[in-house]
Amino acid sequence: MIVCVAVVGHQNNPLYIQSFTEADDALKLHHIVHCSLDVVDERVNNPKKSGLTLNETFLGLLYPTENYKVYGYLTNTKVKFILVTTDLDVRDADVRNFFRRFHAAYVDAVSNPFHVPGKKITSRTFAERVSNIVKSFGLSSAG
Amino acid sequence: MGREVSESCIDSLLTEMVSSYCNRFYSNTPELAARRIEAIGYQVGHQLSERYTMERPRFTDHLEAIKFICKDFWSELFKKQIDNLKTNHKGTFVLQDNKFRWLSRMSGDPSVENGTQDPESKAAQAMSMYLYFPCGIIRGALSNLGIPCAVSADISSLPACSFVIRIKV
Repeated sequence: MIVCVAVVGHQNNPLYIQSFTEADDALKLHHIVHCSLDVVDERVNNPKKSGLTLNETFLGLLYPTENYKVYGYLTNTKVKFILVTTDLDVRDADVRNFFRRFHAAYVDAVSNPFHVPGKKITSRTFAERVSNIVKSFGLSSAG
Repeated sequence: MGREVSESCIDSLLTEMVSSYCNRFYSNTPELAARRIEAIGYQVGHQLSERYTMERPRFTDHLEAIKFICKDFWSELFKKQIDNLKTNHKGTFVLQDNKFRWLSRMSGDPSVENGTQDPESKAAQAMSMYLYFPCGIIRGALSNLGIPCAVSADISSLPACSFVIRIKV
């Protein structure tokens, strides 16, 4: 289950952060997202060490914690997408697919002429679309 | 996908935008009008670059990003690529389009051509206002890709024109 997704701008400014848990642990999840930003920077600046295929947008598993797995994605425009999940055996293809749909939703949201670049995304349509994507995560593999 | 845009509508919109800004909103201050039109282009380029760079690996250097503008970005906008790209390898790039779509249906006003200036330069002056918008688009796209730059345009002979990109270091 996905517990948190976030969009972070190129100056590490939060553009959108949403948790999907019943419990009151938003602060903890935000902290995890915050920590992941350093890992993203490290991956991007030392591509050789991490053994990534060169300059792919999908950054893979950033780091595992006791209860969560954190995945990252960096667009050409230096916007970071972070995904925190509680599933311990996640298929890479599912995560890639999730990020692709998430990216599409993000692009549609920022293409709105009333959206101010660099400001938080307040669109309700975007929030709805994201929660739909989150709900359908991993369903394709189960079915 | 596969959405279409009427070319004549875009031509009219561009013409109307330039004339509104130059003759109505900022009729006394053409520099301000130019800045406003450039800013509209900037926003358009900013958003388009977000969309067109989806599903492609990140760019490693400036040249790669400029090539993207010349090939994919230009094809999406104008259904053709830039015809010629020159660079001095010090941060200046010249993109030449031999048949720029937004100028292909324009011609100089014949009534002003019997002035003292030669008709070529008069036409170029009139056209230059229409090039702030595409300049803004290029600048917006590049700055969104993390490359701050200044873009200017030259008209050599209609409908060819070239865009000069100077990357700020």
